[in-house]
Amino acid sequence: MSKYSVIGTRVNMVGGTDKVTGNAKYTTDINLPGMLYGKILRSPHPHAKILRIDTRKAEKMVGVKAVVTGKDTIGKKQGIWRRFPELCDEEILCRTKVRFIGDPVASVAAIDEDTAEEALELIKVDYEVLPAVFDPMEAITEEAPQIHEGVELNINVNRHIEWGNVDDAFKKCDHIREDQFVCSSQAHMCMETHCAIASFDYNGKLTVWTSTQSSYYIQVLLMGMLGMREGDIRVINPYTGGGFGSKFELDSAQFCASLLSKKVCKPVKIVLNRMEEFTATKRRTPMYYFLKLGAKKDGTLLAKEVRVITEGGAYTAMGATALYLTGFFSSFPYKYPNYRYDGYRAYTNTQTSSAMRGFGAPQSTFVGESQLDMMADDLGIDPIEIRRKNGMTPDYVVPGQAFIQSCGLHQCLDKIEAHIKGRGKLPPNRGIGIAAYGFMSGGIFNWFDTPYAFSAAIVKINIDGKVDVFTGANEIGQGSDTTLSLICAEELGVNFDDIRIHSADTGICPADLGAWGSRQTLMSGNAVKMAAADAKRQLMEFAAAKLGVNIVYDLDIKDGWIHLIDRPERGVSYFDIVKAAIRGKDGETIIGRGHYTPHRKGMISPAYSFGIQAAEVEVDPETGKYKLLRATTAHDSGQVINPVGIEGQLEGAIMMAGGYGYCEDQPHENGRILNPAIGDYQLIRSLDMPETNILEIDTYEPEGPFGAKEAGEGLTNPTAGAIGNAIYKAVGVRINTLPITPEKVFKALKEKEKKEKKKKKKKK
Amino acid sequence: MSYHCPVCKKVSHAPLDLARHMIGRGDKVHRDWIYSKGFKYSELLLLQIKSFGGEGFKALAKVLEKETKVED
Repeated sequence: MSKYSVIGTRVNMVGGTDKVTGNAKYTTDINLPGMLYGKILRSPHPHAKILRIDTRKAEKMVGVKAVVTGKDTIGKKQGIWRRFPELCDEEILCRTKVRFIGDPVASVAAIDEDTAEEALELIKVDYEVLPAVFDPMEAITEEAPQIHEGVELNINVNRHIEWGNVDDAFKKCDHIREDQFVCSSQAHMCMETHCAIASFDYNGKLTVWTSTQSSYYIQVLLMGMLGMREGDIRVINPYTGGGFGSKFELDSAQFCASLLSKKVCKPVKIVLNRMEEFTATKRRTPMYYFLKLGAKKDGTLLAKEVRVITEGGAYTAMGATALYLTGFFSSFPYKYPNYRYDGYRAYTNTQTSSAMRGFGAPQSTFVGESQLDMMADDLGIDPIEIRRKNGMTPDYVVPGQAFIQSCGLHQCLDKIEAHIKGRGKLPPNRGIGIAAYGFMSGGIFNWFDTPYAFSAAIVKINIDGKVDVFTGANEIGQGSDTTLSLICAEELGVNFDDIRIHSADTGICPADLGAWGSRQTLMSGNAVKMAAADAKRQLMEFAAAKLGVNIVYDLDIKDGWIHLIDRPERGVSYFDIVKAAIRGKDGETIIGRGHYTPHRKGMISPAYSFGIQAAEVEVDPETGKYKLLRATTAHDSGQVINPVGIEGQLEGAIMMAGGYGYCEDQPHENGRILNPAIGDYQLIRSLDMPETNILEIDTYEPEGPFGAKEAGEGLTNPTAGAIGNAIYKAVGVRINTLPITPEKVFKALKEKEKKEKKKKKKKK
Repeated sequence: MSYHCPVCKKVSHAPLDLARHMIGRGDKVHRDWIYSKGFKYSELLLLQIKSFGGEGFKALAKVLEKETKVED
């Protein structure tokens, strides 16, 4: 029997009823009195100087209330890496130069969307078109045009990680492989596009309702770009239809709506259309990967060296973090005694690449797990065995980088091995491939330079025993309101339904860095647990007095019953004690406070999830077409807080990561994305979904609330690698570029056939 | 033994680490110091990018070893 009453139980998602009944109000559903509608004019050129912008005709148009250009800004460049000014390189409304097709140059507010759209056509922009560069391998040559002044070879950021003696270790290896891979881009494909309503009032206060992963970041970034004080800006995050990494940086809808609203002192709503969403927001980072892997004959991995060049696009955004994390997770989840990573992010005249679910790890897992299977194949070792031999274990230290406390990787291997054996002998052209992975439970880095704790929460107990939780954490559809409510209810010993959560409104909630890097369960969860414990402590003082207990006894609350832990039958009603405590405190409300910032937990994260996924595919050798039949995942997320949430995360991750492996891409020609519509952008749809299963692993993470760690992004990491390995098992061809399309499989099969024929001829 | 960045005084425990820091930081002041030692920043980067072995870092580390050592 579980020692917990609330966590680990199956509950309805907070806000779920509103969503399924259509009552949930998203930003786009909100209408304010006198609200105007904004549209954004964007560059048609990948690289050009802005010579002149003439807005006079647009301004005169009936129904147009305001037009803004770069001249209306305070002339600052913004970026989320605030500690490094050289990486704050995006003006949003460009003043002198555009750097990709889609860069904003002007914005209009009008009485309706059609008028605003029409007015955009009246704005005349004179450009001087400049030579452009689109491929990162070309961008880093001396001949390439310089995209940002003073940035040599267009190298925006470089990151390096090294431990051990890599050069010496390679000399000791029995077998070395060098391989190259190319990882493609991917669109976030949120159901809700980027949108914001900004309302600047005559008191000089700005309120912004927006679809965001971090209300706090948007508040602070707007402060910098508008020259306002933090406290004069309130950011509210209504129901949000997905983020996946695309919504925690200041975007054109938020900035332009705010700028326009400041100009006219009226609310302005901007909702990006799907085409803008595809072409003018950010995307997953395409990467060129060069890998060198050395091992002993018995499969012991001695050294790994990784070089990566990423297609950064026009601006830094979160690309610097993705560059670091792809290098860090290239060593995961194995104990490499010698490791070297060199990563370079190149500016290109393409849409900026940035954070996306998995944050560099889906790329590193695809390439690393593919190469590891190739190494196992060369050495004649079973893929499970090579992972078992080298896999991380609890209390492992990644030199200079991380301290792994809980690690259920080997339990995952056992479960997946049993699953594969259980599948028995497979029919021809069918194969099961595996990929192992790990992921962080929130990032430790503070490039944003926040002076606040990373997470904070306030818990207020009302006279009727109901509880209000205030947290800056953002509910973006992933279920954090549910998870945090479960944590609060468990700590306080009340029912899940007794909790009401207020999240991500900077006007009433304490600052929290938001929903990115799989941080909220652990970081915001710790803050909520601490706040609940603080409130509980205040109640316990009254309960102890009321019960007249010997001080050697400890009290706890379970199911609304405050009792002696050793004598649960002796207690008092939680509801009675709440009333008594409030009266006893001269009517003062019981308020608990909590905050969490990781300390002395290495460079990356306070805790790591682990897992293995087995993908089963069936390939048609005539056409190369294949079907992902089954995806079975053993995922170690510590103590499960919200089991329904994990199932949802897993299914969503398979859909997203399967798409990354199988079909999703954003090819471009001369900087123009070729498939900027849902009809053209291929996704895995419901009918393509494989059967998904999750195998439970029992671990406990000391740093997490009740032992929990991440269960969101990590699940996105393994699928592309597992698919690649499964295809190899099924038909013996290896595809080193994503996505692994049927066309690529077909071509590889033809090549293989040719080679086999040649071999046969030679033998004859 | 420690090695202090000649530009921002960041302390490293090996010249290779310091070379990584200086190339990695890559801002104008760090680049200017690298130029003053007869290197072209972009060439060091290209050395790094084009082959395994960290050759760009190693080249700079040789200079840093002589010039930035501080006895603890």
